[in-house]
Amino acid sequence: MIETLKKTAQDAVAALQAAGADKAQASVSYTVTHEFNVDGGEFSLFRTLFDKQLAMTAIQGGRKGVVAQNRYDEETIAESAKACLEAAHSAQPDENWDFAPLSQNEDFVLGEVKPDTDKLFFRCQELMAAVKERYPKIIMEQMIVDHKEVYRAQANSYGVLFSAHQGCYEVQLMFSGHDGDKASSFFGSGVITDSLDKPFLELGSIAEDFENVEKQIETTVVEGKFQGTMVVMPGCVGSLFYSLLSDFAGEGGLLSGTSPWKDKLGEKVADDRITISLAPLDERIVCGSRTTGEGFRAEDFDVIRNGKLNAFYLGLYASNKLKLPRGKNDSFNVVVASGDTPIADIIASIDKGILVGRFSGGQPSSNGDFSGVAKNSFLIEHGKIGPALSETMISGNLADMLMRVRDISSEQVADGMSVLPYMAFDGITISGK
Amino acid sequence: MIQDILTDKKYLFASGANTELRAQRNLNRRAVLLNGALVGNVRTEQFGVSARVYENGVYGFSSTAEYTDETVKDVLQAASENAAFLARHAGKGKGPHKAMAPGRIVTAYDLTDVEQRTYIEFAQALDNYIATKYPDLVSRTVVITCDSMEKLLCVSNGCDGHSVLPRSYIYVMMTAMGADGKPVELYKVIGGGYGTFDKNYTKPEDCFAEIDKLYDRIQQKAKDGVYPDAGTKTVILGGILSGMLAHEAVGHTVEADLVIGGSVAGPCLNKRVGSELVNLVDFAHTAFGRPTPLPVYVDDEGTAATDAVLIQDGILVGYMNNRESAERFNMVPQGNARAYLFSDEPLIRMRNTAVLPGKSKLSDMIASIDDGYYLLDTNNGQADTTGEFMFGVTFGYEIKKGKLGRPLLDTTISGVAFDMLKTVDMLSDEMIWASSGMCGKKQPMPVGMGGPAVKCRVNIGGR
Repeated sequence: MIETLKKTAQDAVAALQAAGADKAQASVSYTVTHEFNVDGGEFSLFRTLFDKQLAMTAIQGGRKGVVAQNRYDEETIAESAKACLEAAHSAQPDENWDFAPLSQNEDFVLGEVKPDTDKLFFRCQELMAAVKERYPKIIMEQMIVDHKEVYRAQANSYGVLFSAHQGCYEVQLMFSGHDGDKASSFFGSGVITDSLDKPFLELGSIAEDFENVEKQIETTVVEGKFQGTMVVMPGCVGSLFYSLLSDFAGEGGLLSGTSPWKDKLGEKVADDRITISLAPLDERIVCGSRTTGEGFRAEDFDVIRNGKLNAFYLGLYASNKLKLPRGKNDSFNVVVASGDTPIADIIASIDKGILVGRFSGGQPSSNGDFSGVAKNSFLIEHGKIGPALSETMISGNLADMLMRVRDISSEQVADGMSVLPYMAFDGITISGK
Repeated sequence: MIQDILTDKKYLFASGANTELRAQRNLNRRAVLLNGALVGNVRTEQFGVSARVYENGVYGFSSTAEYTDETVKDVLQAASENAAFLARHAGKGKGPHKAMAPGRIVTAYDLTDVEQRTYIEFAQALDNYIATKYPDLVSRTVVITCDSMEKLLCVSNGCDGHSVLPRSYIYVMMTAMGADGKPVELYKVIGGGYGTFDKNYTKPEDCFAEIDKLYDRIQQKAKDGVYPDAGTKTVILGGILSGMLAHEAVGHTVEADLVIGGSVAGPCLNKRVGSELVNLVDFAHTAFGRPTPLPVYVDDEGTAATDAVLIQDGILVGYMNNRESAERFNMVPQGNARAYLFSDEPLIRMRNTAVLPGKSKLSDMIASIDDGYYLLDTNNGQADTTGEFMFGVTFGYEIKKGKLGRPLLDTTISGVAFDMLKTVDMLSDEMIWASSGMCGKKQPMPVGMGGPAVKCRVNIGGR
């Protein structure tokens, strides 16, 4: 299969060149998915999917066009090459478009490439039984568990030719706590793994998430408004940093000129204890991408290292256009360095604050201002975790927040996609009714 | 159009099970100009066939990107085997769904596949207009999109169908420097809706007036914008926000699968959830005598689509269902089972969900507020199954002593839907529809949402 896909990718590049492309790239994949679904606490669906994808990119005279299809027979490749060049002809020239030069081609094999469907179903049943027994107030609104086996090949006109054959299991859970007519907010938890050796309950933060949500059925409302400490649970750290890295260090904010970090490469933008990496090769990341969409071999890199802005998260086009170094991978496998303090000690040091499990907010402004509802959250008072909260809003500024780090936990949660600690920030506005 | 090689496979449908076969093609065309640079120039197509089989209370499903006589048989067999596997291990002892009248609903027609050059040249004309007339902007983005779904459906129980759902839009985003030296942003969807690009847009000049309005608003926001005072306030939600309320805060909680999962709507059926002024409907294909923004005539289970009345005079009277949940709740399925791609199974989804208009004039609503806010634009909305919602607000005005005051900077509003709806005491007599977004629930889905101006009490974030 891999050799067939590699030839198909090369054929697609050749077709683009024959159609007039100066530079060309093609990626081809074949994916087989086995997926079990639980809805409303009961098994509901078993599905198997057989998907193909072909993406062709042409650059001609600095003009770029992209066409994507889910077929890659000879006729489709020929038609797509023609359509791709037509799309490129319509664009205005921009010399900054390019692909990765030839370095060293490689064939990668990652994860558990073939599924053990019977064992996967057993692990699903086991989890449902464990929830029923150990977390009786939890209703599993939805569980989606799948295995994806992916064959992928990528080629370009510089001679780059990568392939990957990979497989992993993904567990996505959506659940809430219930007691009579009272209910918690819903919460999402999940992991990616390449092994079925352990019960799902032992992976990521799944067990802790069930425990927390059971405690969130009864809630209270914060009285008034105060400035306090916000402790962000690991899963929520990832979503906050996604906005931060996209808007401040990513292509959108830099190409539009709105990023507050646009002139701060090498400068201090965060507390010295903060190091944020994008690390698909980290051993705790499962099946992290080994190549970028532009055909480079992926490498881990630090966006922020010890509080200083070390690199932007840029593709080749933005890198060329802005005359800045490109990001060395295009994954979003975030690894945040742990601190020295156990989370229990961090909580014990806080007089008044909030422990936030999920942030439901508007897209932060390009200047970093954010406001939204603290969901699945608890009040912290006098060094102890207090009652769960509802209708509590938090607001602040992402850039300011990075400078007001109170502490970072020594514990990290690795869910196969990211590795994140608890993080505590001072000076957050917390308001209730 | 998709050639029908499904109907003649009906002889393969197993007796005693519900079977659906669906061939589907999704097209997406997109051009993106960021400060004049073409950073997006993409055409995509997803085409294939799927089968779903319902047996003993569980579903088996399979799909493939190949659309041939052989692959149709293959996905039917795989879906049957998957249903049998799950039925063996987790069957619920249920028979097939109730019989529905057979039929065939055809609304498909040949779509115009506009050349990519047309999108790009149109976007360039708009970008040139903005760059020339408003050089003081920090950044500008013009996005043109056109997407469509064509579905050919063949079922063992209910209506076969062949439908198309095309839509196209122009988005303009502007960033200006605020008075405090921080950038402020606004975006606007200009025209568009149901139909391919050539049907919705004739010439760039027709969009200039809306661009001018967007610039005027962002200048107001940048020069004079203030943060609202945090707390529980009386506000008027403009139609864009009341539509989001209908969809996010109420609509999702009354999707029957989420009700089964424990949503707040479960214990509230036939109870008061809003003031007597509140009426909320998920329209199928026609509303107020006109086509809805994104009409649905038959769903992907073969149910002929009809309107789902959800709240009537403030009382929660119904849910949105698929065939299975309708039987569970003893309700009538109304065509809410929808799938996004050929490789997606149908889920319970909204179609065109709206708060119905009232009888008040907007001017009277504003005049009735001594200290509050008029909230007009949003960039984001979320809600959970408790009905607690959060909407980002990107533009609005203070209301002071019955008159509009200063413009607002970005803020957030929140509340609990079934509490907040009880505070509604005025609804305007005009409503707005929006349909440019995608609802996210395992799969994306194009949906319409709408509403009038709604006067109510909500929490507002301030800063």
